[in-house]
Amino acid sequence: MMQSSPFNLRRAIIWIGRLVLAGIFIYAGYAKLTLGMHPRPPLGVALTYFQLQVASYEILPTTAVYYVAHTLPFAEIALGVFLLVGWQLRVWATLVSLVMIAFFIAVVRSYALGMQINCGCFATPEPLTIKTVFRDGALVALALLMTIFAFMEARKPHPWSAPEKAQSRAR
Amino acid sequence: MNGKAAVPKSAAPEPRAPQAAESIPDVDPHKAFGSKSAPVTMEVFSDFQCPACKTLFITTNRQLMDNYVSTGKVYLIHRDFPLPMHAHSRVAARYARAAAQVGKGEAVEQVLFQNQEKWEQNGDVDGTVASVLSAAEMAKVRALVKGGTLDAAIDKDYALGQMYRVNQTPTTVFHSKGQTYPYSGVMSYDILKQFLDQLLSQK
Repeated sequence: MMQSSPFNLRRAIIWIGRLVLAGIFIYAGYAKLTLGMHPRPPLGVALTYFQLQVASYEILPTTAVYYVAHTLPFAEIALGVFLLVGWQLRVWATLVSLVMIAFFIAVVRSYALGMQINCGCFATPEPLTIKTVFRDGALVALALLMTIFAFMEARKPHPWSAPEKAQSRAR
Repeated sequence: MNGKAAVPKSAAPEPRAPQAAESIPDVDPHKAFGSKSAPVTMEVFSDFQCPACKTLFITTNRQLMDNYVSTGKVYLIHRDFPLPMHAHSRVAARYARAAAQVGKGEAVEQVLFQNQEKWEQNGDVDGTVASVLSAAEMAKVRALVKGGTLDAAIDKDYALGQMYRVNQTPTTVFHSKGQTYPYSGVMSYDILKQFLDQLLSQK
């Protein structure tokens, strides 16, 4: 008989990470494509506006700025959806962690250099402040915990799919 | 540090609704360039003592004027946003505005930005401006500066910036097709060009 999955702190953190990060990634991608405007501006306008924000970090050369600005919003939405669906969770969790680390490095660098730019996180004119640094830092921590726990949990037999193994392991 | 300058946070009101170029208020014709009926309007909130404003002016202004403003594609409005932390930026804004009224706005803006490091050290805005004007023009500019009427226009620009929630300079507010796109910071001409071309290609 199938037994219910026991409460497990790691699984709880995986779920919280999936829900929070998926929500943020999907919203961030969507916001970059719509700029929070009604009616929505043409896609080309939204992407080139986001390109201005990517360029303001002064990290990437112009060509790279173009490719990042034109792919990141879609990648964020896709990563958020895959994270939510949970299929191949370890892959998407790892990618989300890497993207979050890249964002965090960019934000910390800009803050440390005293660059008074907009974050560009949600395509709104939100100044990059110490709050942004802490927020991104917390999200990086959550993404890393989610990823590490996803790998750890994947090694264990799941009580739904392999109840006998799970029980014997529990003993 | 890239030299952009920020204002202390204030309780700025909600930004106004998107507007057409013709309805943008308090436009000093001496500080606006191009056709009012251009499909894109750019309002650039700038501080003469801010290094990032200098970078934006020097790297984009000439090309922007030649390729978009002179060709009727962009209506460019220079807004004064002298930050309180800069000792001489309001004085510089007065001189630039006065020079604009005698038809020498662009030359004076250029000399102020190009010699920013010098006059911000010694405070000699007058001497810097005088280096590009004739004696007669300079006399008119000084009279206008001493007249004390320019501050009201500068304050109007500043208040407008606060309505747009400008919190640092340079901030550029783009208007196109009834929508408003604020952007803070320096931008290279290439990146700006791509954005303007997209705005202009809207049907």
